[in-house]
Formats: sequence, structure tokens, C-alpha cells
Amino acid sequence: MMLMIPKGYEKATPGTSPDAAAVARMMKYNESLQKAGVLLALDGLHPPSMGARVSFPGGKPKVTDGPFTEAKEVLGGYWMIQVGSKEEAIQWASRVPASENEVIEVRQVQELSDFPPEVQKVAAGFPDMQRRGS
Amino acid sequence: MRVMVLVKADKKSEAGVLPDEKLLTEMGKFNEELVKAGIMLEGEGLHPSSKSARVRFSGDKRTVIDGPFAETKELVAGYWIWKVKSLQEAIDWAKRCPNPTGAEGEIEIRPIFEVGDLGEGFTPELKEQEQRLRAQIEAQRS
Repeated sequence: MMLMIPKGYEKATPGTSPDAAAVARMMKYNESLQKAGVLLALDGLHPPSMGARVSFPGGKPKVTDGPFTEAKEVLGGYWMIQVGSKEEAIQWASRVPASENEVIEVRQVQELSDFPPEVQKVAAGFPDMQRRGS
Repeated sequence: MRVMVLVKADKKSEAGVLPDEKLLTEMGKFNEELVKAGIMLEGEGLHPSSKSARVRFSGDKRTVIDGPFAETKELVAGYWIWKVKSLQEAIDWAKRCPNPTGAEGEIEIRPIFEVGDLGEGFTPELKEQEQRLRAQIEAQRS
């Protein structure tokens, strides 16, 4: 998974959207991921000012509406890609038409086989739940 | 609308401590409810940031930084994509989630940009390209 972390997005007002030139550049990049057959999913996220957080102090859910004043890093979007190695993912991340304020974080997705047998047993139904509604 | 529901990391998830059987069982039940209600589209857990990397951009330069990353509470440990009618519906579901870390956990709910949200900058040509991409992704998956 490649996570896009744009600095400053934590303060963006509701309705903020990227400009046409940036979207066009990104679509070209997306197309290259797609052509290489590595792209599984991608989405852009509205600014945190349009979102909410649920925290669990003392086990009870507490809702905080965005923007989140203490946030230093927030997500702007993500790509899910299927690659052979972390290095390959880093190469793809390096090709993102990103600007100076942006960082791409590359994170490996947990597969059921990454877990010990007793955990695999309890989580056996999980793969079946994924991507059902899409 | 679709929302991305981010489960935030904590010291334990960052240390690679796996959830215990009790939490996994509760989470399995919760996922089951989400699927039955037609809410859950996707969900994944992520390995800790110690197994991860960041790419930083400065002009044409790319700098690779290996994990772990310091801001533990800002990191993502896992996520869902949900299909809901409103942010409030997503909040109501998130409140029913078993405390994801068992301690001081946090879930962040972020609405996803749909094609109609991008304004005039998203030209008909770009829209067409986007739709084609999504159709091809879908075809490759199955």
C-alpha cells in the first residue's frame, strides 16, 4: 500500500480539491501503474475537516469532528499495488508526480499467512469478507 | 458515499504485537456485521512501520527513508473502505467497533473523493480515463 501524506492537508478547508494540472499528472502516473498490471485500488480522501475521529478513552467511544488540531500528518489518498518486493514498491513510489510537501509511505499489507497458526484459525473467515461489496 | 476508516497505530501494533484471540474474535464478529449490512467493501491490516519505507520529494530528488517512523499515533495500522449514506452512519458503525488496540485506540473516518467531487478541473477526458482505469482494475482482480 502506498499512502500519500501531503503536508498542510491537515489544515485544508472542507471542499478543497486538487487542481486540474495536478490531477492530469496523477492520472498519467495511475495509467502507468495500471499498464504495468500492479494497480489493485486507489482513492483520494477529502480533507480531515470533512471527517471525524472516534477514540476509545476508558473503552468508551468518543467522537471528535475534523479538522484535528493536533494532527501533524494526515492521509490524502492511497494506492494498493501488487509488487514482488519492497524495493519495487519504493521504485513506484519514487515515480509519483509528487510535490515538495508530499511524502509517500510504503506499507506491506498483512496476509493471513504472516500470522501464527492459532491466529490464522480465528481469522480464517477474513479473506472471504474482503472485497465482497465492490 | 464511500469512506476510508483508518485504525491508528499504537506502541503495541508498532512493536509487531499481534492482536489476541479475544480481540480477533470480536473483530471477526464486527466484520461479519459490516458485511451483512452491506457496509464493508474492503479491509486490510498493515505491517508495522519498521517494515516500511517513505519516499520524500524535493524537486527532482527522491529520498528513501526506512521505517520505523516516530509519530506512532499518526501512523495507520489498518483500514476499511465502507459504503455508507452519511458520515454519521460511519461514525455510528465506528462506535460499535471493538476497541481496536484494547487500550487508547483511535479510528479516523475520511470521506473518499468521488468523481463528482473534483469540480471542473476533472475534465470529461479525465473522467473517461478514470472510469476506464477502474474497469480495468476490476477486470484484473477477478
